[in-house]
Amino acid sequence: MTTAEGNGIKKYVTVYLCLLVITALQFFIGYKNIEGSQMVVRFLTFAVIEAILVVLFWMNLGSEKRVFVKFIVFFMLFVLATMNYIWTDSFRLLLFRLTKIGPS
Amino acid sequence: MSEAHLTMGAHSGGAMEESPFAIPSKKLAMWLFLMADVMTFAACVAAYAFLRNSTPDWPRPFHGVTNVAIMTLIMLTSGLTMLIALGAAKSDDKAGAFRWMMITAAAGVVFTLLHVRDWMGMINQGVSLFQNPWGPAAFGAGFYAVTGFSLLHISAGTIALIIVAIRYRGGRYNADDIEIVNLFWQFVGLVWLFIVPVVYLMNLAR
Repeated sequence: MTTAEGNGIKKYVTVYLCLLVITALQFFIGYKNIEGSQMVVRFLTFAVIEAILVVLFWMNLGSEKRVFVKFIVFFMLFVLATMNYIWTDSFRLLLFRLTKIGPS
Repeated sequence: MSEAHLTMGAHSGGAMEESPFAIPSKKLAMWLFLMADVMTFAACVAAYAFLRNSTPDWPRPFHGVTNVAIMTLIMLTSGLTMLIALGAAKSDDKAGAFRWMMITAAAGVVFTLLHVRDWMGMINQGVSLFQNPWGPAAFGAGFYAVTGFSLLHISAGTIALIIVAIRYRGGRYNADDIEIVNLFWQFVGLVWLFIVPVVYLMNLAR
């Protein structure tokens, strides 16, 4: 095994161990009695960190040309951010269902 | 100069232009596919989250997530074995690359079987697309839609892994093709890391 290959495997194993620890934390939090919105924030934070690790190191996006990385990241973030417009309607429905006023 | 040369010459400016991304076309195609797939998965998960958030009595039926924890461990480990296969292919170790790809595919098969076992458990509890013992009918539809879409991807990825491994061993594919299937495999693993907290951990019985 060459030095470069050895370093590559070391990097992958390090990321693997990080992912295992983060996932274990998620399961730990899952069993804790935490308020819903706080739990969502924690889960999503951990999941986003995992996503960054996988995309940068396991999918090797970090070693691609800068313009390509920008293209992928800006496009993805735009789509994922605009998808959040659903929440206002979701909370509206929740309010109607809790107060029994309006559509069920 | 022949007519063919003249015709080609008219388009050569576009055909010979260097890609600004400077990556092979197959890899670019896979990244574009993954971008489209991100949108589909995000729409699925967002629809599930919409339903869950707007339903006050959303059920929390999961008493234990041991099966899901094992599935997650298998998925993460298969991501690592896939990278070892890619490393072997890049250093021209054909036997090693084939072996590690088949190990990854075996992990995919085990994951799929555990996923089916999870579904069977839900079906035995009376959860279908349109009804469940706990109330909100949308729970079953949401659960099966999100996890089913992931299962479909992982099953397809497992089949792709086996095909690419066999063709690589036969000399029809090279390390670049393994890199492309690696992108897909890591992506489906990544999606699973979002599904676990949203679908399972948020709905643990307390």
